[in-house]
Amino acid sequence: MSLTLSNLPRLLQLCSPSLPVGAYAYSQGLECAVERGWVRDEASAGDWILGLLGHGVRRLDLPVFARLYRSWRAADPEAARRWNARLYASREAAELQREDRHLGAALARLLTDLGIVEAEPWRNAPRVCFATLFGLAAVKWDIPLPEAAAGYAWAWTENQVVAATRLLPLGQTACQRLLAAAGPVIASAVEEGLTLADEDIGGAAPGLALAGALHETQYSRLFRS
Amino acid sequence: MTSTASATGWQAHLHLGFQRQAQRTILGQCAHRGPLQVQRPFYPEGKEVCHVAILHPPGGVVGGDRLRIDATLDSGAHALLTTPAAGKFYRSAGSFARQRQHLTVATGAALEWLPQENIVYQGARIHASTRIDLQGDARFLGWEILCLGRPAAGERFEHGECRQHFELWRDGEPLYLEQGRYTGGEPVLAAHWGLQGQPASATLLAAGSPPGLVADLRAALEPPAGEARVSVSQLDGVLVCRYLGPSATMARQLLILAWGLLRPALLNRPPCPSRFWTT
Repeated sequence: MSLTLSNLPRLLQLCSPSLPVGAYAYSQGLECAVERGWVRDEASAGDWILGLLGHGVRRLDLPVFARLYRSWRAADPEAARRWNARLYASREAAELQREDRHLGAALARLLTDLGIVEAEPWRNAPRVCFATLFGLAAVKWDIPLPEAAAGYAWAWTENQVVAATRLLPLGQTACQRLLAAAGPVIASAVEEGLTLADEDIGGAAPGLALAGALHETQYSRLFRS
Repeated sequence: MTSTASATGWQAHLHLGFQRQAQRTILGQCAHRGPLQVQRPFYPEGKEVCHVAILHPPGGVVGGDRLRIDATLDSGAHALLTTPAAGKFYRSAGSFARQRQHLTVATGAALEWLPQENIVYQGARIHASTRIDLQGDARFLGWEILCLGRPAAGERFEHGECRQHFELWRDGEPLYLEQGRYTGGEPVLAAHWGLQGQPASATLLAAGSPPGLVADLRAALEPPAGEARVSVSQLDGVLVCRYLGPSATMARQLLILAWGLLRPALLNRPPCPSRFWTT
């Protein structure tokens, strides 16, 4: 399977900010990082976003995404359920779990409406991750794993960069510089993330966990995480 | 040296089994191989709660060592496990030291896991994992405290590798998985999303707690002014309290405070601090 002119548009559809899952409402701890002064300009926004991309996304999200993808490809929903539970339990603060649950359930509803019956049980699942449904869509739309994984990492990055532009005085060019810098990080994250062994999965980020939890009591909030 | 110290390091295994007999929790099984032992169980708060201190007589762990602790609590048992001293992991020229701890808590049982911190010397290479498996309505209150380098001696963690897993499962489903990879020189040590340049990090987990304690904990756990940070979050099925800051001792003091608030609510008992915590 390779990326072709027929499945490329499906990948772009899946990665588009217009995908109606409500990702724009979540900053994944970035709003707290800005409030605390940990992120205050283009350089520190790059440290936060690209750093997490090269650590947590690379060592946790992407290897689990690969296993979710392979589970769906093997028509093994029980394996997908197990990896979903593992990823969900790796979200280290309540709002980070809630974010994944809302995005995952929203994508499950959309995919169900688009005729993917496997998505149906996930619409109201108590624990569901965005990666789980993203992987299902990628399999159903014949998108190869590396490109699907890069798309997942891209969607995550773009959402973070857009959140940064709402929280900081960052111009459009700065935003594009951050996205351009993410390119090689995504490439190496996919390369390594897809080859990690089960026992090597894990990318705890204590500062992100703190930010996720401290955001719950933050006085002024634009975002839901 | 005994025969358990081979060229590849110490191989040590400790198996503990707790049962409830009448109103008492007893340490019914206690088997060890190599240098891992327990002190005689003690009952500072009556016979229902069995306190046990786990000892590692060599006092430190080197590359190639394998330490394994398995503990099982049968239904109705209540045990409090602690250690009299911090765990020390020394610099390794090559091989990893491994510490695996697996704690299984049956329905109706309660475990408190309150060890002192693991101090990972610069240049150490370790895999440390603690997995708790709860069954049914089993309750758990416990922490893991990690110190990378020795801040008191001015030693940071510029090289070395520490993998630390802290996992809580209930009925075979993961509730909380913290899987840390801290490699000297990588961004995770200094970055704001990572350890923020701080040597000490700690996580307390409480499973089975009634809701409503999050606000109380947040109010009580104000760290001293400075670089330390504390957070509290009620996740799905588990309350998580975290520390990140300059000192493992400060982490322990704050988590003892959290434990003191959570224990009456979760285990229906006033706090009964271990005598080892005063040092």
